[in-house]
Parts: sequence; C-alpha cells; structure tokens
Amino acid sequence: MIAQEQKPIEEILGYLKGKRKVAVVGCGGCSTFYRTGDKAAVEKRAEELMSKGKEVLKIVLPFSIQACEIEKSGVWLEKNRKKLEGYDAVLVLSCGSGVQVVADYINEKMGFAVPVIPANDAIGLVGGGPRSLKETCQSCGMCELGKTAGICPLTECGKGLMNGPCGGVREGDKCEIDEKKDCAWVKIYKRMEQLGELDKFEEIRDPHEWSKMKRPRLFEIENPVGISEMMGALPGMLSTMLGPKPKLDE
Amino acid sequence: MKRRSDEIYSDLMRELEEGRYVFTGELEPEKAGDVNEPIEMARELLDLVVACNVTDNPQSFAYVSSLAASYQIQKETGMECVYQLRCADRNRMALLSDVLGAGVLGIKNILALAGDHVSLGDTPDAKPVFDLDSTTLIKLIRTVVSEGKDLAGNEIHNPPKLHVGGAAAPGAAHLKAEVAKVKRKIKAGVEYLQTQVVYFTDVLDRFFKELGPVDVPILVGIFPARTFGQADFFDKFVAGVDVPPDYLENMRATKQIKDKEKRKEEVDRVNVEFFTGFLEHLKGTPAAGCHMMAVGYPRVIPALKKIME
Ligand code: SF4
Ligand code: SF4
Repeated sequence: MIAQEQKPIEEILGYLKGKRKVAVVGCGGCSTFYRTGDKAAVEKRAEELMSKGKEVLKIVLPFSIQACEIEKSGVWLEKNRKKLEGYDAVLVLSCGSGVQVVADYINEKMGFAVPVIPANDAIGLVGGGPRSLKETCQSCGMCELGKTAGICPLTECGKGLMNGPCGGVREGDKCEIDEKKDCAWVKIYKRMEQLGELDKFEEIRDPHEWSKMKRPRLFEIENPVGISEMMGALPGMLSTMLGPKPKLDE
Repeated sequence: MKRRSDEIYSDLMRELEEGRYVFTGELEPEKAGDVNEPIEMARELLDLVVACNVTDNPQSFAYVSSLAASYQIQKETGMECVYQLRCADRNRMALLSDVLGAGVLGIKNILALAGDHVSLGDTPDAKPVFDLDSTTLIKLIRTVVSEGKDLAGNEIHNPPKLHVGGAAAPGAAHLKAEVAKVKRKIKAGVEYLQTQVVYFTDVLDRFFKELGPVDVPILVGIFPARTFGQADFFDKFVAGVDVPPDYLENMRATKQIKDKEKRKEEVDRVNVEFFTGFLEHLKGTPAAGCHMMAVGYPRVIPALKKIME
C-alpha cells in the first residue's frame, strides 16, 4: 500500500488562502489503514480549518472505498453534488493518486471548476507492519529481485545501486545515508550466503532498464473486480484476521 | 608487463606497468570561478608524484567541474591528472559524454566512483542520479576504450585512449561484501585500485588477506593531516575510516603551540613519526604505491617518500 504523512496545516492554509468554503474528502483505502484519511483524520482536518474561519463540508469515504478508484469514490462525490456546488476548494486526504483522480472527476465529469488540494505527502509503496513499515518497491516496471536475492537494490539501497555495496557502509552494516537503515547490499550478501548463492554476488549486474518507466505508465484491466467478488472475499478476510497470527514487528 | 606499449596511455599506468613504486597526490577544485589554488598546489607536487587525482564534488559539495579542472591543471602545470568521475550527479549519457570529452581534452586517467549521496552535501535537495554504479561505470569506460562501443552497443568513432581506476574500502564495516564488490570491479576490467584512507596496518592486512592475490595494482590511500581539524573530520565523518587515538591526540596537542612555524614543525614531526611506522609496514604488503591525500600539504611528501626508498 501507499504510505503517507500528513502535511503541516500551515502549508495547507497557504493553498487555501482566499478560499472560505472547503470540502474535506477522506479515503477508505491506504489512507484509512495509515490513519491519514480515515474518519478521525477528516474530523481533525475539518476542525483545524474551522478554527481558521473556514466553512467545511466533510466527506468521509467508508472503509475500502478508495479515493483513487473513481467507480467507488465517485459515488460519494455524486451523493454530495448539491452540497459541493458553491465550495471554493476541495482538500483530499489521500495519496497523490487519489487527489488527482478526485480532481479529474470533479472538474471534468461533475463540471465544477474547483481547485483540489493535497492534504498528505505520499512516501511510497510500503510493506511490513502492523506498526513499522518500510518502502520496499518503487514500481520500476522491470523487477530485479530475481538477481538480488529478493531485496530491492533500487529501493532498499539508498543510492539504488545495482552493484553494491558502496564504500560508505557504516558500523553495524548500516547505510551511508541514514544510520537507522540497514545497508541493502550487505543484506543481499548475507541472504545470498544463506542461500548458498554467493557466486551470484560477484556477478556484474547490468544497469537497470529505466526505459520500462516511461511516465505516466498506462495500465488496462479486462475484468475489474465487481461487488459479488468482493462479497465473496469477506469470509477469507475474516478468517485471516481471526486465524493464527504471523510473527510481527519484533 | 601485461600491456603492449601502445596500450599504455598515461605516465601513471607506465610506472605501474614497470613495477615502480608509485606516488599519487590529490587536488581539490573549490566553489569558485577559478582553479588557481589547485594549480598552485599542482606546481608544488610536480616533482613529488606521478599524477594527481582531481576530486569530483567530494562529499557531495558542488565545486568546479573535475573535468574542467583536470584539463586546466594539466595544461598550465604539466601535472598528469586522474579525473575523478562520480555516478551521483550524472546519468549514463552524461557519463559517456564526459568520458569522451575527457579524451578530447587529453585526460589519460579516470577514477570511477559511485560518489557520496547528495543528501550528505551542500545541495541536499538535488535529485540523486546513480544511473550507473562504480562497477558499471568501469565497464562503460573499458567498453568505450577497448571496443569502441557504449553500453547500448552504439559505435564510437575514434574512441578515447585512457585508463580507469576504481576504489576499495579496506576499513569497510562488512569486509567480505566489500571485497566481493572489489572482485566484481576487477571482472569489469578496472586497471588499478586505490583504497580509501587507511591508518591501521591491521585493517590493511585484513583487507589484503581477504582479497588474496589479484592481477591489478593497488595504491593505498594515506592522509597525513595538516591540522588537527582535518584528522578529526576523517575520524568523525568519513565512513570506514578510523584515526588512531594516539595520532589524533598528538595532532590535537599541536593546537596549543602559539608560534606558527613551530606548530608547522611539530605537525610535520607527528606525521613523519606516525607514517614512518605505517609506511615501513606498507613495504611488506602487495601495495603498488601510495595515494597521498595530503590536500594542501605538499611539504610533508618528500619526507614520506624518503621512508619508502
Ligand atoms: S526491482 Fe524493486 S522497484 Fe523494481 S519492481 Fe522489483 S521491487 Fe519494485
Ligand atoms: S550503504 Fe548500502 S544501502 Fe546505503 S547507499 Fe551504500 S550500498 Fe546502498
């Protein structure tokens, strides 16, 4: 999922200068998991804005209704069409994708001309949990994990080296850039050692093919997941949540 | 000797090929619109070293282009330069352009480096590049020079004639991973290696032992500090480099000496005393020479060279 941090209110107020009526839209996807766009976050942002004299419309998207999926979030925007009319700005509490999808819909499909403003800073595709997460993948379009013992050289290595480690590894095998982070290339070495594949470590890996990352990348899906499939998934979801637990954050 | 004489393009490579003990120095272009200071330093070093590295945005501080500085220093002083080239600031196209440009400007040696991360320097908001790494940059240069092709296989007309060196970090936190990387650089065709600064003989011994015999000459980096501050900086801020506490203390003590000349004498004495032991030890290692990062401190070099005679 996409991790996010909340922007400081001062920055948001800067974008909202001269705008009195502000709609605050949450997100029921990643932003709810990471508490940057759930109901409580919408309430808190709304209070902050009201304390600065703004008139606020709150649009909470229920759990699993992602701002970035317009088929779902569009329903909630349409529900609020009447109220949204006459608003000066829309603040979206999601990652940048949700903000843009909502902005496109409001301005192009709903026919309003309203600035849509981000409330969060997206910081990447993260994994792990439930409390500590780490950016693990930058969706580069040409996965290299098969060459690096399952550890991403582009994302986990601070410099994104295909042939590390660099000369800056710190005491305790920490990264040159941040002593709180482990050096990805020492990790790759240790993992390969564990797998008995150290000969692979000395191989020269070709430079990454950035041609696979011509932006923006487009993606087609033939059979989007529908409501019955989602309902059918509920028992599996429940048994996962209630079943035996994996070993989580030490 | 492994290379034919028409495959030797620089004085540095010639001396290494001839098996002569090599001394190289280091020059640092600054944040300025000229390279007067490194030129002056180069003049002082002219008879003391075979070539001088010209640093490329060291510690990710943006300075005069290393290529421009290398060209100007060579032209004005005749000092052979080792153009340091880092991957941190350039993608593979810019790197290739600069390698070809170096050939045009008469540069004969390149030291291929990944480079410190830009967030550690004076322009932390810059976009870090690292499109290639030190290994693939070495491979690029070798492919250009010996095959007349770039990494994408495009032909290069009249390819430049220059040599490529690479770095090694004997004091690396994880020596086995470091040594495996060094061996990878050798596979990529690196023509000589230069180590990060080392102060401890046991660190150096461990590195040579782990590396085993290799077919590539290795210059060991040493850093006789001109001031206590320089030594302290290395100790505190340079990853993989520890400065011996005794040496550090002796350097600190020189700060108390009021008379400038006397202080200089004492700094020199401390350095010569410390490095006599280190260099004597170096004689018994496979090192092919010594890279002296004595930036702005050429006066100490003759005494150090003498130890190696
Ligand atoms: S190489 Fe890294 S960034 Fe690319 S797809 Fe694989 S995990 Fe993601
Ligand atoms: S210390 Fe390791 S993870 Fe950090 S930049 Fe260097 S090679 Fe990459």
